[in-house]
Amino acid sequence: MAARQPTNIVRSSTLTLIVLMVAAMVIVGGLLVGAKPLPPEAAFKALFFPDGKIDSILVWTLRLPRSLAAFIAGAGLGVSGYLLQVLTRNPLAGPDLTGVTSGAVAPIVYCFVFFPSLSSVFYPLVGLAGGLAAAFVTFWISRGGRGRPLHLALGGISVSLFLGALTTYILLLSGSQAPSLLFWLTGGFQGRSWTQLAYMTPWVLVGAVGALAVQRVVGLLMLSEEAAAGMGLRLEIWKPLLLLLAVLPVAGVAPIAGPVAFVGLAAPHITRLLKPSGPGWTIVTTAALGGLILVAADVVARSVAVPKELPVSVITALIGGPVFIYLVQRRSISL
Amino acid sequence: MVMNTSLNIGRNPGSTWLLAISAVFALLSLVLALFLGVVDIPASDIGAVLTGHGSPEAQSIIMDIRLPRILTGVLAGIHLAVAGLLLQTITRNPLADPSIMGVSQGATLSVTVFLVFTVYSGDPGSNTLAALPVEWLPAVGMLGGLVAGGIIYLLAFRLDLGPLRITLCGIAIGAVLHALAIGLMAGWGSSRIEILLEWLSGSLYARSWEHAEFLFPFTVVGLAVLPLVRRPLDLLRFEAPVARSFGLAYRRQFSIVLLLSCSLAASAVGAVGPVVFVGLVIPHLACFIAGKRFTLVLPLTIALGAIVVTLGDLIGRLIGQADEIPLGVVAALCGVPVLIALLRKMP
Repeated sequence: MAARQPTNIVRSSTLTLIVLMVAAMVIVGGLLVGAKPLPPEAAFKALFFPDGKIDSILVWTLRLPRSLAAFIAGAGLGVSGYLLQVLTRNPLAGPDLTGVTSGAVAPIVYCFVFFPSLSSVFYPLVGLAGGLAAAFVTFWISRGGRGRPLHLALGGISVSLFLGALTTYILLLSGSQAPSLLFWLTGGFQGRSWTQLAYMTPWVLVGAVGALAVQRVVGLLMLSEEAAAGMGLRLEIWKPLLLLLAVLPVAGVAPIAGPVAFVGLAAPHITRLLKPSGPGWTIVTTAALGGLILVAADVVARSVAVPKELPVSVITALIGGPVFIYLVQRRSISL
Repeated sequence: MVMNTSLNIGRNPGSTWLLAISAVFALLSLVLALFLGVVDIPASDIGAVLTGHGSPEAQSIIMDIRLPRILTGVLAGIHLAVAGLLLQTITRNPLADPSIMGVSQGATLSVTVFLVFTVYSGDPGSNTLAALPVEWLPAVGMLGGLVAGGIIYLLAFRLDLGPLRITLCGIAIGAVLHALAIGLMAGWGSSRIEILLEWLSGSLYARSWEHAEFLFPFTVVGLAVLPLVRRPLDLLRFEAPVARSFGLAYRRQFSIVLLLSCSLAASAVGAVGPVVFVGLVIPHLACFIAGKRFTLVLPLTIALGAIVVTLGDLIGRLIGQADEIPLGVVAALCGVPVLIALLRKMP
């Protein structure tokens, strides 16, 4: 198999390493920019010798955790999008278009408004249940996700519109909480702390590591379902499992970052252009790239309109929308 | 699959009856909406109000609150339903709808921009809230919807995409516009969030005569133009080359119908906010009832648009009482099962 050739492994690992290094550079660069720009030497001093003064607070409690959160969230969304695309064999699939995102968001908003006593620790579980339910409905509508891409897109957008109408209504009922909920609904990492990063990371890790663990299955499913079944793969077990793995990161990310549009769609496609070898490396590269995209979007979001912040979802939508249209207009995708 | 509007011109006696029945139903739903509400007004009083002799209280409830609200709803319902029928025909996609194709999201974005940037009167530094120019909302919303339609048009013809790909692009554009609107709302809209959310939930709450007056010219012009595009509509159901071989100026007619559909949808969204699924479900309902009698589909679509929105709003008013459920939510709740059934049936 091509994936086993050492040159390919060298190439793929170099590729991943480069993406990770760029992401690290963006994170470090992101320490400098913001409402109060830091000169590089002050940032380095604060980073390596924190002294509890303003600079090190900026670096250690504000900028570093939020950038890392953005990276982890982007990685999770990327892996999720990749798994959904493999699962549905549909290039347009992603957490947004399969309804997973709005499925995770709507019940969280509901709990926030009507069960304020519920600890936010449980929000990922609530999001997981909602995301899975919405994904099942979308998949059921589009015949196990094997329908045409148009089918899945329409099913997913219908589920999202429906949940969106409910979310708006709940917001309307929430009264004074509406502004803070809306702020969360725009997706973003402002004020995200180490604690929140720690809440989110396990969910993303389980999804990503799980995906890596079953990469052989992913590879078989990429060929075709018939081929996979012919090679003895038990689809009725593996497909739900992959769906679960795909929803886990979104469930973890949504309570912290809110719905972040289009990253899950765009990251796997950009990865494919880089041609990593085999599903394993694709997963790793997609995760790194998704993280890079979201970190960069976050840095842009908090530095272009200082002292205001743009919601990060605005940036990702402006990147992801054109990617989507580019994919749609390619004749190679049969609708 | 929709929609053969006039190839089959057989007028059979059943059609007249069907139209008469749907007209009666439309009237009944209007009367029902007029009579029922949170405040109980006896039927005799309503009769008195309509002849100009009611008590001042009944007079104001009927004439200033219920009647304009019902009329706005009727016109918006007709707009959305017809817009959906037209979109479904030209995109050859039985599931096209203004809220799926990004028209509603365009309207949402422009209304958000408008509300956010008219917040403070005079210089940006002053903290006095400006008087809210709500009467502008329908026009502003309509403008945004048309711009979204324009983007769809440009993509369709610049990239020469087929109708189905246009639908998908509409979805993407809708998502981007929606993200921008929500972002703007959260970042800058804090003082206007209640108004925005109220509008965003698609509701007929507090709609006045101005709203009905705003919609009326579009209804008249839109419905007047419809008979003129009947033959093009028949041909637009085919692939572009086939339609051209019938002598259709495909691109021009496509644009005209798209513009017609977007102006109807956008004006409705401007007046009542984004109401999902009405434009999607009603043409199908009309086809379901009319069967193969295609001349009936359009009039039935119009009648059902009026009926469904009126009843949907009435249900929301009655169930929620003082905290009424917005039309948009009722429409989403009722529409989604129909939509799922349609999607499951789709080839």
